[in-house]
Amino acid sequence: MHRRDPRAKIAALMAFLVVLATAHRALPLLGLALLLLLSATLICARLPLFSALARAAIVLPFSLVFAAVCWLSGDPARGFSLLLKSYLSALAVLLVVSTTPFPALLRGLETLGAPRFLLMVAQFLYRYLFVISEEAQHMTIAAASRGATVRGVVSGARFRAAAGALAVLFARSYGRAEDIHRSMLARGFLGRFQPPGALRFRATDAVFTLFASLAPVFLRVAVERVI
Amino acid sequence: MDVAAAPAVAYIVRRAQRGFDDSRVPLLGVMGAFVFAAQMINFPVGIGTTSHLVGGALLAYTLGPAAASVVMSAIIAIQALVFQDGGILAMGANLINMALVGVLAGYLPFYLWGGGRRRKMAIFAGGALSLLASAVLALAELLVSGVPMPASVLGVSLALFVVSALLEGAITLAVIQALETIQPGFVRKPETGRSFALGAIGLAAVLLAAVGVLVASTAPDGIEKLGLQTGIASHVGSLVTTPLAGYQAAFFQTGWLRKASAGLAGLALIYGVCLLIGRAVARKRSA
Repeated sequence: MHRRDPRAKIAALMAFLVVLATAHRALPLLGLALLLLLSATLICARLPLFSALARAAIVLPFSLVFAAVCWLSGDPARGFSLLLKSYLSALAVLLVVSTTPFPALLRGLETLGAPRFLLMVAQFLYRYLFVISEEAQHMTIAAASRGATVRGVVSGARFRAAAGALAVLFARSYGRAEDIHRSMLARGFLGRFQPPGALRFRATDAVFTLFASLAPVFLRVAVERVI
Repeated sequence: MDVAAAPAVAYIVRRAQRGFDDSRVPLLGVMGAFVFAAQMINFPVGIGTTSHLVGGALLAYTLGPAAASVVMSAIIAIQALVFQDGGILAMGANLINMALVGVLAGYLPFYLWGGGRRRKMAIFAGGALSLLASAVLALAELLVSGVPMPASVLGVSLALFVVSALLEGAITLAVIQALETIQPGFVRKPETGRSFALGAIGLAAVLLAAVGVLVASTAPDGIEKLGLQTGIASHVGSLVTTPLAGYQAAFFQTGWLRKASAGLAGLALIYGVCLLIGRAVARKRSA
């Protein structure tokens, strides 16, 4: 699973998502079937099953609010469908993202037609995300150690302090970006990114795509025939 | 929500045509990381609560609206893919709401009035408007996709949106002011002397479009009720023989189609309004 071409996985993910998003009947049974399918794939990919299931639940609090609204307005079926679809789609995305290195995933998206500039920005974002976040954490700790979280300090002053902290973080990030650009130039960056090594779509990938895309479709047709 | 996927694709293609220089990639990527990190910094807003910056307007004022759209899209994509914090099914809608409408709505007041005496007001209004526009649009899309919302829930949601919008405006303003103190070159300075009337009309158009989408998406509920009462829905239901045919019948169910067309019309209206404003302003600038 980890070695499959990212495009195969993206295609299978798309098929899964389309089947899931357009389903409107026999949802409990279909949901269970798709959940089993994803769990089986997770096990085959040797990913820890329960932590994956738990992690996909991050999306639930958000959907729960709308599901509650549906339920209280007398349409519990729609609320349930919302929860089910959001959870399963999150789990499917988790599966793909956990079995594909991020640059490879973006490269797969690029060859499938997504705009290159956007993907490169996303790649850089990912690369520096943890760097900048750590810097932000240092700043919050520094502020806390200078008494920023002490109650009784005037709200307005703390507000301005937080704004100042953000501005400093902005300036540092901007400066860091300029440094990065300069070092890229110093290493021979000519102004355009060259496409990295080509992805190879092998026969195993084709077989995988076929089976993985047809599996959710098959499950849905089977479930809808049973009901 | 699948309705939003098609316009999202069109929008991505359109943005790809803007033809950015590859050398800007590090800047946009790092600034995207900055927004992520910035959302961790909490602003105290009294009564023991804190708020944080969303960032669309801030990005637009420092990097320009086009770059801001790209950065916001990258942020939304990473949130959904890497952190599973944001559904993949709703990503099309999210992109339109926050990366397109949010950024444009935020940039509009700044572009019109950011160069003059009302600069602070413009920045505050832009921050507030970016949040308000994307939130109202998201609400309308939910209504269109069939989530039932009684008036009380709508009222509470809108009240929350207004509060968050005001906070976003305040935070954006505070950060921009701090930025200008550190280094004046960061924040852009649009030309002064824009016609106030044109600006007001443009703004009113955007607001009307947003409210219009909201109102239009509540109307189809009445039509669907009518359909149920007169038995149209049951006629459609009897067409179901095989699963595939059933899917098609559901697709063309009166209620769904009305809602979908209302939603699409609303989205197209907003997109068109932003486009027209952009074109009119560009023509004025080159004149």
